[in-house]
Amino acid sequence: MAVILTVRDLTKYFFGLAALDSVSFDIREGEIVGLIGPNGAGKTTLFSIIAGSQAPTSGAISFEGSDITGVKSFRAVHSGIARTHQITRPFRSMTVSENVEVGLCFGRGRRTRNVEKEVMEILELVGLHGHASMPAVTLSVGHLKRLELARTLAARPRLLLCDEVCAGLTESEMQSILDLLRRIQSLGTTIIYVEHNLRAILSTCHHVIVLNFGRKLAEGPPEQMRNDPAVIEAYIGKKAEG
Amino acid sequence: MARVVRVLPPFLLLALLALLPLFHLAANRVKVLFLTFLLITASVAWNILGGFTGQVSFGFAVFYGLGAYTTALGINAGLSPYLTYPLAAAVAVVASLLVGLPTFRLRGPYFAIATIGVGEAVRVIMTNLAFTGGASGYRIVEHVPFRQAEHYYTGLVLATLAVGVSMLVRHSRFGLGLRAIRDDQEAAADSGVNPYALKLAAHALAAALTGASGGVYARYAAFISPDGVFAFQRSVAILLMPIIGGVNTIWGPVLGGGVYGVIEEELAARFPEFHLLLYGLLVILIILFEPGGLMGLLGRARRLFQRGRDA
Repeated sequence: MAVILTVRDLTKYFFGLAALDSVSFDIREGEIVGLIGPNGAGKTTLFSIIAGSQAPTSGAISFEGSDITGVKSFRAVHSGIARTHQITRPFRSMTVSENVEVGLCFGRGRRTRNVEKEVMEILELVGLHGHASMPAVTLSVGHLKRLELARTLAARPRLLLCDEVCAGLTESEMQSILDLLRRIQSLGTTIIYVEHNLRAILSTCHHVIVLNFGRKLAEGPPEQMRNDPAVIEAYIGKKAEG
Repeated sequence: MARVVRVLPPFLLLALLALLPLFHLAANRVKVLFLTFLLITASVAWNILGGFTGQVSFGFAVFYGLGAYTTALGINAGLSPYLTYPLAAAVAVVASLLVGLPTFRLRGPYFAIATIGVGEAVRVIMTNLAFTGGASGYRIVEHVPFRQAEHYYTGLVLATLAVGVSMLVRHSRFGLGLRAIRDDQEAAADSGVNPYALKLAAHALAAALTGASGGVYARYAAFISPDGVFAFQRSVAILLMPIIGGVNTIWGPVLGGGVYGVIEEELAARFPEFHLLLYGLLVILIILFEPGGLMGLLGRARRLFQRGRDA
């Protein structure tokens, strides 16, 4: 598979503290890649930099062969990278379908003419078609997560960055979101997926990258990562001596 | 049918206002209406930026004043007044870009504060600018007879244009982007909206309408001065009207402009400072009890009425 995203020596300092320290990896087109690590490992910072919300201190990112290091987030969206937020951020004055319309009218597919039809298709994909005309603020947490995904998908990303879409959901809600991610991937979108829940990662991802204290600790297939001593140590701690 | 009922009142109002001069109203009444049209224009314009986009500006007198001076200089240079209004709008647009390019990098209250500074700076500059007469003001000399009806219709057309623009913006993709920025600028950018460009565009559109209203005012007044058209009080007035009427709606700024125009004319003449107290009180009441302004109150009244009828 062709490489869609290349990250090289990405470093980000906040007031002298390294949130990311020389992180490098490649993402292959069509995969679901899990990004895991303990709290404060730098996962969300990495997302923000790839999506253009923050600029890196140093390092380079290239997407589909062109350099996108430090571009503004709306430009990243136009080139085909879109993210969801860990804490959902709906447009509060809008209905569910208007939220999706924003992604459609301003994202990568913004020249579309069939706005209404495409909004409904996306809402059906994420299972919100019954809520189209409801104000976004009236949705439950689970539905807000779906709306966040729907709005992001409406921007027609080639690479989707999902930040903890399962946090705070019940087991069955989580399973249906994971099914949704697999469907999105099967429709041709590459996904990087940040998640705390290891079971969710292991059951969904083709490849896993582990971050710890801003550095890349390990990467490989999910099964291998689960048994990697360094990964276990980062998550659970060291075995007591003696 | 319901749609007709909703669409009809604005057209009836417009027809009434268009026919009004035929009824030989007192000149003073026509003047109040004319000035109210200009207030409504500025109020509706401010709402495009302050309401739809959520960017509160205390600097709209800059556009009003620059529009007024552009028309004044244009007429005295021999241009047709109707040619000077687009020029007034264009000068205001250029000013809006000069103000917006640096200040739209700021967020929230910082933008509002910056616009106060810009407004005062422009007023001081105009007070010291020799070729426009500085603080003593600038007189417009026009060699045509004064016809009040002409001014009246110019004001009416401009206010109608402003409301039309506001409706178009509201229901366009552009307007959807503005709402997204108002709700959550970062989430908007993450959906592909370019917040900086859209804010500049909304600012420019609002400035154009405000500048034109300043131009129309200048021709009517025939004399303008920095302390009149560039006054900080004018910036505050332009912001108060949509807040009183109901920010972020189509008709709120129109209603607010109308109410303000009448209060200003009826009260300001008799009690020079009393109306300021009244505005202060109104704004406090609105912020505390009805952020939707008069439109919010009307909506509440209508719901009460409907509940009464259903029961």
